[in-house]
Amino acid sequence: MGTKISMVSVSKLYSRFRPGNSISLSAGTVKECLCNSGIAPSDIGLLINTGIYRYRNTGEPSIAALIQNKAMPFSPGKASKGKEAASVPNTFSFDLNNGGCGWLSGIEIIDGFIQTGQIRHGIVVTADSEPFPGFSENYYFNTAAAAIILSGTETTGGFSHFRTYSFPGFCEEFISSTRFGNLKGKWGERNILVIKKSETYVDNCIDCAVISINRFLDETGFALKDIDLIIPSQCPKGFLTGIKDRLGISCKLVEVRNNMNKELHTAGPAFALNNSWNDNRFKSAENILFLTVGSGIFVSIALFKNLSY
Amino acid sequence: MLPEMNGKCHIESIGVKIPGKRLTTSELTSKIKIPGIEKFGLLTGIQERRICSGNEDSFSLACDAARDCLTHSKYRAYELDLIICCSITRYKKGLSHLYEPSFSLLIKNVIEARKAMTFDISNACAGMLTGVYIAENLFRRGVIRTCMIVSGEYISNLYDHALKSIRTPLSSEISSLTVGDCGAAVILEKVPEDNEGLIVSGFKTFSHLSGLCTGRQNKRAPGGNMKTKSIKIHKASVINCLPIVKEALEVNGLTFDMIDYLIPHQTSRSSIISGAIKLFDSEGKKPGNLVVNLRDTGNTASTTHFLAIYQYLNENRFQKGDRIMLLCIASGLIIGVVIFRMNEIIYRYGNKN
Repeated sequence: MGTKISMVSVSKLYSRFRPGNSISLSAGTVKECLCNSGIAPSDIGLLINTGIYRYRNTGEPSIAALIQNKAMPFSPGKASKGKEAASVPNTFSFDLNNGGCGWLSGIEIIDGFIQTGQIRHGIVVTADSEPFPGFSENYYFNTAAAAIILSGTETTGGFSHFRTYSFPGFCEEFISSTRFGNLKGKWGERNILVIKKSETYVDNCIDCAVISINRFLDETGFALKDIDLIIPSQCPKGFLTGIKDRLGISCKLVEVRNNMNKELHTAGPAFALNNSWNDNRFKSAENILFLTVGSGIFVSIALFKNLSY
Repeated sequence: MLPEMNGKCHIESIGVKIPGKRLTTSELTSKIKIPGIEKFGLLTGIQERRICSGNEDSFSLACDAARDCLTHSKYRAYELDLIICCSITRYKKGLSHLYEPSFSLLIKNVIEARKAMTFDISNACAGMLTGVYIAENLFRRGVIRTCMIVSGEYISNLYDHALKSIRTPLSSEISSLTVGDCGAAVILEKVPEDNEGLIVSGFKTFSHLSGLCTGRQNKRAPGGNMKTKSIKIHKASVINCLPIVKEALEVNGLTFDMIDYLIPHQTSRSSIISGAIKLFDSEGKKPGNLVVNLRDTGNTASTTHFLAIYQYLNENRFQKGDRIMLLCIASGLIIGVVIFRMNEIIYRYGNKN
C-alpha cells in the first residue's frame, strides 16, 4: 500500500498593510484542498499543523484544532443531544514543531497511520505569521500557508524511505525565542520575538544537506541520476544556490520565486510542490526527492515514487 | 517485503521532576477579594502546588524528568530511538518562549541520546498521551524499539495575570489558580507479540468546542494567560467522553469493572468525581479505583497522568497485572483513552520495606 498526494494548496498574504493571521490562512488552504480533491471533511482521520510562528502565540488549544474548526466546521445542532460525540467526524488534530523539517515529519506520521490502515486520508497544514505584527526583531518570513492531503492507495509507489539526519553541533546557529522588554521605536514593554541567525548558518545548512543526501543515497541504493525532481526547502536564503552548485543539479531543483525580500519558511517545500504540480513537472517525474532543512540543524529527506509509472 | 504492522509497546519507565517551592491554596487565594474564595481549596481538592523558582523553567523540568526516567530504566540514553517533547509551555531561561530549535533536540543533546530522532508536538493537556498515540503507531510498524515522551510545564506564571483579572467567582481565569509546575517523562519499549501491550483508542478532536479553553502569551506582561469556560467545558467533556470510553472498552472486550485504576486528567476534585459518577452510571459498572492526586501538586497540564502513575508507583499502590485506564480530556476539545497492564515496573519504584 502506498501513500499518494491527493491535493496541494498554497496561500500567501501580499498586502504589507494587513497583518496576517496564520489560522485563517491555513484554514483557507485546507478548505481549498478539500474542495479541489472532492474528499469529504469527515473522511480526514488526522490533521497535523506544522507551522511555527502562530497567531498571538497561542499555546492552547492546538492551532490544528482551531484550523479544523474553521476549515471543517461541525454543527452540533444537527445531532440530537447525547449522540453528539458519535456524529462528530473522527478527525484527530495536533501541532508538530520540528523547524523547517516539520512539514515532512508531519507527512511521515500521516504516511504511518495510512500504512497501518488507521486512517484513509490525512492533512498536513503549515503556516507562519508574525505572532504580534510589528513586534519582532529580524523576523523575515512571508505570511504564507500550505496544505497537502495524503491518501492511501492500493498501488505501489508514493512516499517511502523517510530519513532524518541531525547535526546537533549547529543547534546554536539559529535561535528564535521571545524576550520581554522594549523594542526600538515602540512604546512600552512587550513580549518580543527575536530571531538570531549566525553568519555561517546558510553554509552549514548546505554542508549538512549535501552530507545527508549522500548518506541517503548510500542507504537507499539510489544514485543522484535516478532522481528526476527535488522538492526542497526554500530557506535560508542562498541554500538552493549552494545545493545547485555543490550537486550540479540545477534543472532538478524546484525554486519558488519570491520577490518580497522575505523568505518562505515551513510552507516553502509545499510551495515548491505546488509549482511543480501546476506545471506538470511533478507528474512527469518518476523519482522525486523531498529535501527539507531546518534549525538544529536537521535535514529530512523522503522519496516519492510517482504512481503513474 | 511488507513492513511489520503488529508491533506492540508498553511503559518501561517513568520519571518526574517536581519543583521544590510550595505555594498553598490559602496563600494564593488570600490575594483575591471575592466572596467564597476560601472554599476554593475544598472544591478543587488542591491544598498546595509546586512552582518553579530560581533557574527552573519548562526546559529544566523536562530535562530533569528525562534524567529521572533514565535512572529507573534499563536503557541508556544512547539506546533511545525517538524523543518526543510535548510541553505546552516552552520556556527556557526564565519566561523566554523558545520557537526554534525544538525542545526535543535540546533535551537530546543534554541527555546525550545520540541516535534519537526528535520532534516536538503540542496538543494542550493531551500532549503526552498524543505522544503515546504517535509512538504506538511507530512501534506498530517496527520503525522504533524505544521512545521517550517528555514534557516540562512551567504554568504557574498564569497566576500573575489571573490575580489581576479575577473579580467574581465565575471569572474565566479562576481555573488558572488550579495549576502547578511539573516535568514528566516516560520510556516506551517494544514488547513481544504475546504481550497485551498498550491500547490506544478513540483519540478525537471536537474542534467545535475549541473555544472553551484558550491559553496565550501575554502582550504586555511576561508569561501567559488562560481563559476557561469551566462549566461548559466540564459538561461537554462528560457528554462526549461517554461514547468514547464505551467504545474503547467494547472494542477491547473489556468492561469497566475490569479496570483497576481509572486516571482521568486532573483538573479539580469536584469535576472529576461528578464526571466519573455520570460515566459509571451510564456503564452500570465502575473501576476498582478512581485516581485523584491533586492535593499536593494541582493540575500540571500535560504531565498529570504520568505524575499520578509515578506517585502511585512510589506509594506501592499498584500490583503487577493491574489494568490502568488513562482518560485524556484536554482543550481542543480532545478526548482519548489509553489502557495498559501494570508490569515489572512496580519493582523499580518505592521502598519495599
